[in-house]
Amino acid sequence: MNGWNPLKHHSIHTHIAIAFSCLILCTTALLSYSTYKLSSDAVTRNSQEYTSQLIEQVKVNIQTYISNMESIAALAMRSNDLQRYLKQNEPAFVKPLMKKQVSQYFNSIVTSRNDISSILFISDRGDEIVSNRESAEFNSIAQIKEQDWYKKVLGTDQAYISSSHVQRIFRDEYRWVVSISRELSATEDTIGGVLLVDLNYKLINNLCQQIELGKRGYVFIVDPSGDLVYHPQQQLVYSQLKSEQLDKVLQMWNGSMTLGEGNDKKIYTVNTTSFGWKIVSVTYPDELVGNKRQIQFTSALWGTLCLVVALAISIILSYALTKPLKKLEMNMKLAERGDFDIRVEIDSKNEIGKLARTFNIMISKIKELMSQVVAEQEMKRVSELKALQAQIQPHFLYNTLDSIIWMAEMGKMEEVVDMTSALSKLLRSTISKGDELIPISVELEHIKHYLTIQKMRYRNKFTYSIDVDEGIGNCQILKLVLQPIVENAIYHGMKHKPETGHIRITGRSVGDDIELQVIDDGIGMDPEAARTLLERKVASRSGNGVGVVNVDHRIKLNFGAAYGLWFESDLEEGMSVTMRIPLLREVEQT
Amino acid sequence: MRKRWNGVKLISLVLLGVLTIGWAGFSIVSHELNSGKKKTIIFVPKTIDTTIEFWQVMRQGVASAAKEFDAEVEVMGTRAEVDVDEQIALLQEAIKKKPEAIILAATDYNRVVPVAKEIVAAGIKLITVDSGLNGGISTSFIGTDNTDAGRRTAEILHTHVDSHAEIAVINFVKESATAMERESGALEILRRYGNYTVLGPFYSNGSVQTAYDIASSLLKTQPNLKAIIGLNEPTVFGIGKAIQDLKMKSQVFAVGIDSSMGEIRMLEDGVLLATVIQKPFNMGYSAVKTAVEVIDGKRVSPRIDTGSKVITKENMYSNENQKLLFPFVE
Repeated sequence: MNGWNPLKHHSIHTHIAIAFSCLILCTTALLSYSTYKLSSDAVTRNSQEYTSQLIEQVKVNIQTYISNMESIAALAMRSNDLQRYLKQNEPAFVKPLMKKQVSQYFNSIVTSRNDISSILFISDRGDEIVSNRESAEFNSIAQIKEQDWYKKVLGTDQAYISSSHVQRIFRDEYRWVVSISRELSATEDTIGGVLLVDLNYKLINNLCQQIELGKRGYVFIVDPSGDLVYHPQQQLVYSQLKSEQLDKVLQMWNGSMTLGEGNDKKIYTVNTTSFGWKIVSVTYPDELVGNKRQIQFTSALWGTLCLVVALAISIILSYALTKPLKKLEMNMKLAERGDFDIRVEIDSKNEIGKLARTFNIMISKIKELMSQVVAEQEMKRVSELKALQAQIQPHFLYNTLDSIIWMAEMGKMEEVVDMTSALSKLLRSTISKGDELIPISVELEHIKHYLTIQKMRYRNKFTYSIDVDEGIGNCQILKLVLQPIVENAIYHGMKHKPETGHIRITGRSVGDDIELQVIDDGIGMDPEAARTLLERKVASRSGNGVGVVNVDHRIKLNFGAAYGLWFESDLEEGMSVTMRIPLLREVEQT
Repeated sequence: MRKRWNGVKLISLVLLGVLTIGWAGFSIVSHELNSGKKKTIIFVPKTIDTTIEFWQVMRQGVASAAKEFDAEVEVMGTRAEVDVDEQIALLQEAIKKKPEAIILAATDYNRVVPVAKEIVAAGIKLITVDSGLNGGISTSFIGTDNTDAGRRTAEILHTHVDSHAEIAVINFVKESATAMERESGALEILRRYGNYTVLGPFYSNGSVQTAYDIASSLLKTQPNLKAIIGLNEPTVFGIGKAIQDLKMKSQVFAVGIDSSMGEIRMLEDGVLLATVIQKPFNMGYSAVKTAVEVIDGKRVSPRIDTGSKVITKENMYSNENQKLLFPFVE
């Protein structure tokens, strides 16, 4: 029936402590985890927001550079100097002058801005180059025209924006730039060509290099064709030591994606400029772990602290809760051992307090019941005693009345009177006082009446003497205890003795006790039989010693097992019955 | 009374358990936090001369890797590449700083060995980069496979020069391991393919002038000379100048190793057929990466080749090669 219960053998204290601990453990773990989760989510969200704001800023800056360049290109194209230079019908000797003017105009733009490294115009006729530097040595035209910014802008009326590259126009000069070129189509009276504005790559490089995205995060820029405009580790990418998911980046316009697994997990956030470059930030989610670790650490620390405190409290609480229970248990143990005078002092009004009160009530009820049982026992004993007393009287009455009848038949009227008066006194003394205990003198008076009756019945078959110390006359004795003994002495000692016997009654105090003896010189009995006389108990109602056994029983019931009757006898040697009772003075009784 | 004692015991046991768990958690977490501590590395290049692009670019690679692997890299270098004694002194100073690792580009194959041994004895991890040490003291050497670079020079020529031509090889020094490796690589290929007559190897001692002189005399005296291999930058530059001055660029192919602005010009002008360039950025990057791995107790390869690249006039402006040939250095 009972399922497996590991806590079966443990105390409530342990139960409560364990239950609390589990509860607290779960709660703390849950709380710590959710705190950690929430905080780390917030950190992630914040950092993502920060990242996208940052690259938005980069995008805005780069767009500004590029649009500035576009407007410079537009401005240069529309400039009077260039327009005049392009006119076909100008005389040949003016050309160098005009070329110089254009060059000076370009130079004024370049010197006023540090972001522009050069502006130049290549005419499609004559392959003339006009640059911001008047006296520059150029590389071969063929070499220049190989470059993308020239080849790709032809036939379009859009500005071409190159990726970052080494500009190879000026001899012995290898500058990193981003080129913007526009074609000026030839018309009837003007020559055509390509206008080039070079943006110093350093600006983009510095802009991107400055960006701090955690410890390892970085920004790169890729143009629509998949060329890297900027990458902090471009060499590694080209050497295939590193790879960026360019195909996936190129498919993306704006937004972010997480690529890679485990430690190589990267978050790519893409923001595309109006002219197609994609600004991509790469952040490492596990770097947020730096922050996350902090959060983890803090939540773990506080979690543990809370746990320790809460557990301590739970233990103290469970101890405090079970302490009254323990107290109750201890008291119950006392009750178990039979101490019903205890009271459990628990003042609290809770269940345990109620339990304690109920226990107290129960204990007092038990005590009451116990005393009730004792009282009933007492009553039972008294009633038994009453019954025993009642047993004596009819027994004797029958015999005496038989004697009276016999004497009356014999016509011995005087003796009948004497006997009847003695019987009457005897009965009166027996019945008149209801008390169980009477003074020894009264008992002796009673026995005298009794002996008078018996002496008459047995016609001087015996004589008697009473020799009791005067001092103990006042002492208490059980009513009618001597009579059965004397009766026994007469019936079993005197009755069958041929000569006249003598019954002697003595009494004296021995220490705290009183010893009364009834000694006869009758026929006596076997010593063994005398010793076992009391053990026969109620052998037969009419038989030997019923009264004596009752007397012994009564004494023992009243005074305890130390008291009672002792028989000494031998055949033909008479019998001595010693009665021992405690010395009780009447004064003490009343 | 026994019961009460049991209760006390239970309470203290539970508290002890919780405290132990808490302490364990704390120590684990704090250990984790501590493990995020930056690794200290000292990088000793051959020179900190900012005009020498090779070392500047290597430093970029070092810086890039330091950022990526969260290491703290200090650069200690001599002003001149030839100052061996000062590098030794610097290394002794570096040992005193007790870094976790030292990345060294040795200025001398033999003379730096004793101090390198001191570094290892001090329990500092030693990584060599670009130029190694005699006896392989370092845990790992990161650099160009010079034999391979030498092979490449010869391989380019093989596609341009018919197999009975005379080819001259001008090396820079005899004692340098780098020089000998390059030489053996070049000679290996020349002997494997065709019936080339190898002139040399000659030694320029790394001097442009000596190389120029050797090349000039060869060009003048050897009419069958079809190609010259120069095994380092000044040597190639000297050779190029000789060809230019003698106006023999259409008759003789010149191939070299390493690049400079002068060489790039020669490539563009067709004086040089090709040059094999190294990847200093990758060297610097890989050196730091390897150092970090060594500090972390990982096994690393004792020899890491960072590769080389053949640059010709045709491919020099490709996206990929632009960055190698014209590194962006502020």
